[in-house]
Amino acid sequence: MFQLKAAVGRILQLGLVLWAVVTILFLMFRLMPGNPMAAYIDPTFTEEQQLALMAQFGLDKPLWEQYFIYLANLVQGELGQSFRYREPVAERILALLPNTLILTFTSLIIAYVFGVLAGAYLAWRRGSAVEQAAIPVVLTTRAMPEFWLGMVLLAIFSFWLGWFPAGGTRSAGTDHGNLLGLYTSADFLSHLALPALTLAIYSQGLPLLLMRSNMLDVMKEDFVTMARIKGLSNWTVVVRHAARNALLPVMTSFAIAVGYQLQGNVVVESVFSWPGLGRELVNAVSASDYPLAQGAFLMIAIVVILMNLIADLLYALLDPRVTHV
Amino acid sequence: MKLIHKAALATALATLFASAPALAGDPIRTIDLFTRPQAAQPQEFQSVQLIAQEWRKLGLDVNVRVMPWEQMADIVWYQRDKWDVTAWQMVGRPERSDPDEIVYNLFHSSTAEKGYNFIGYSNPEFDAVAEAQRVEIDEAKRKQLVYKAQEILAADQPNMMLVHPKSTFAYDKTVWKPDSVVNQSGIGIRNTWTFMSLEPLGDQRDIIVNSGDNVQAVNPLYISGGVDSWVTELLYDRLARVGPDGLPKPWAAESYEWKDDKTIEVKLRAGMTWHDGKPVTVEDVKFSFDAVVSGEAPMYKPFATNVAGIDIVDDRTLVFHLNNPAASFVTSSLAKINLIPKHVWEPVLEDLKTKEENAESYQEDTPIGSGPFRFERWLTNEEIVLSANKDHFNAPKADRWILRIVPNVEAALGMLRSGEINFIGEFSGDPQVLIDAAEADGDLNVVSTVDIGFRYLAFNERRAPFNDAAFRRALSAAVDRRLIVKAAFKGFAEASNSVVSPALEFWHDAAVVENFKAGQDVAKKILEDAGYTLEGDRLHYPGDQKEEYAQ
Repeated sequence: MFQLKAAVGRILQLGLVLWAVVTILFLMFRLMPGNPMAAYIDPTFTEEQQLALMAQFGLDKPLWEQYFIYLANLVQGELGQSFRYREPVAERILALLPNTLILTFTSLIIAYVFGVLAGAYLAWRRGSAVEQAAIPVVLTTRAMPEFWLGMVLLAIFSFWLGWFPAGGTRSAGTDHGNLLGLYTSADFLSHLALPALTLAIYSQGLPLLLMRSNMLDVMKEDFVTMARIKGLSNWTVVVRHAARNALLPVMTSFAIAVGYQLQGNVVVESVFSWPGLGRELVNAVSASDYPLAQGAFLMIAIVVILMNLIADLLYALLDPRVTHV
Repeated sequence: MKLIHKAALATALATLFASAPALAGDPIRTIDLFTRPQAAQPQEFQSVQLIAQEWRKLGLDVNVRVMPWEQMADIVWYQRDKWDVTAWQMVGRPERSDPDEIVYNLFHSSTAEKGYNFIGYSNPEFDAVAEAQRVEIDEAKRKQLVYKAQEILAADQPNMMLVHPKSTFAYDKTVWKPDSVVNQSGIGIRNTWTFMSLEPLGDQRDIIVNSGDNVQAVNPLYISGGVDSWVTELLYDRLARVGPDGLPKPWAAESYEWKDDKTIEVKLRAGMTWHDGKPVTVEDVKFSFDAVVSGEAPMYKPFATNVAGIDIVDDRTLVFHLNNPAASFVTSSLAKINLIPKHVWEPVLEDLKTKEENAESYQEDTPIGSGPFRFERWLTNEEIVLSANKDHFNAPKADRWILRIVPNVEAALGMLRSGEINFIGEFSGDPQVLIDAAEADGDLNVVSTVDIGFRYLAFNERRAPFNDAAFRRALSAAVDRRLIVKAAFKGFAEASNSVVSPALEFWHDAAVVENFKAGQDVAKKILEDAGYTLEGDRLHYPGDQKEEYAQ
């Protein structure tokens, strides 16, 4: 009963957050300077065309009416039609989302596996020469701008050594059938390597440092001392006792990082010509393509909200002391 | 007593007049000058900075306002009385090889309120010339009219013309035979003719070309982005095409002939087929023009509204009847309207009539044309693949044409060197970088061509002092265009004083460019002659003119 109530409250809360996001998005793009009609200005652009376009985009109606039409459509799962591409927003987003998700998850998994292991190792080797050399390196990689890092990797591994292609998800003109065929092909993986590596290098700092400081905290706790007193090996103490407990906040940060990463992809997608949602978002905003920009942002917001929810639930699962009252 | 009073008054008045400058108006307000950001438009931004500097020397207070295109266009186009001067650009397109579109739409007073004459230029003498050149079928006479139009514009300076930029493209000369590359006048080597004639030298038989912009639509009834037209021009035939020399030539039409100044007879080429194998008929041709004016294709409509009717004479011959004589008809209509298959589009248009959307929102899964390339596939924001139509009357020598979307311009250059692409279709960076890369690489050819398009500053003629031709002339004369060419365009441009590019040799009036005198002295002299005065360092209106637009 208590659980059910909590769950219902949680869902209502989600609905409210979504409504607020939707409303802010709607107003934000319309208040920004710019005009979606600007893309059509041409010597042969007649008054008749201008009126037809306004009507087609629904921009001839008052703002409040546009807002209610937008809400009503959203409730029916309808994201509208892109001004720029004249095609349903949902279709465009669905075409690009898989590319963004695979890049995001690949890079984050690499970053977190590496970060957790390296963080635990550095905590274990606290005070050693290795740690003293490693921390500045980690801080440096975290401070490097993504586009710069991307360009450097591109210059070295693509233009100079020629090991990896410079952009896209596949070689020009190759057909891999469906998405599964594409994602499992060597061609795709070689295209994925550099953008994923760029993002992974950029993102590994957070889990690494988080893991390390958690480990240092946990290692001071009584149960670790207890384990040592029991005479367990150093390895067992670090891995089975300390690391498992130190992992909790890192898991949460992973879930949240997925959301952030979707935005962070913008830069990397442009550097590596990756056909993803981030690039689309930037284009949509600069072209005042309201429906597309709203749709893309909404999609990212939903992923962020969902990942937060998952983080909360996961936490409760991993650590029974945490409950939602 | 009275006499003394009068004398005193007279002296007082005399001193008053003597001390006040002779007939000075208000100081001219701070002039707002719009430009797009340096990151997006480095040459435009640079030019504007140089120009502002020169204008300040004349005693003007100039405020450069930097804003993105969407915002700038919104003010210039939809708030026509709210700005002073803006940088602007006209891009080159094959249809603009006929001067009519530029000469008429940019300056005729009828387009001042809602059309492209957003500067509000109005000159009855110019209107008459612009109208006359439209309907003059005799080329020699029309040329005189187009010259006259250029002379009026040079005298009035409604815009401050800056340069015709050069388009710079590159390709891998170990992949493509250099002789097979066609340099289209005013367009450059990236054009339909090149893509049809490129001859492979080795195993690589795919033309792989880059674009920084995404493709918006592949739709024969929708004029969308510039890149989109590269694709549609390859997929669809037109009755005529603008040739490498800038003049229209018969294409899907075997020939055309003016019967009188409002009637043109077109003979369709025999044996053409659509990509689905069905024959191209005169009914298809008539349908293509009817579709454009049906109300379902508003963007294309202006290019066919002059057609009063089309008669089918026999299975190869059509007669077009025009409402008004139109000299540019072949270039702006016959070479512009895509031929589309009736059996594909008729049901689509019928269905669209009952719906809110029009044909511009309709995207075919597999677009069917009759052009030199067939549609294979399109991956959103990544690539478009076309394959050679070997049945075409001018079949391409390459196997496929692949467009790769590469937003990162440095990566595009790297890809050209590594072979991931083999033809630079767009290079937004510094052309010198391309030339240096070609020298370092050895396998690349770089070609620069003067463009039909141009860069300019638009003066808002609705607002004083820009309503005064002398003032505009002075501002224009204050800047030596060679400075702009050198400093902002690094030599990749040609100084301009005419909207008709020197690339259009037949129409370009070289005298208006040669006779243009620039320099601070020239500008100051024009201002002085027109009655503008310098008070301290500030330029003032002539006479007793008041400043009406001060903020």
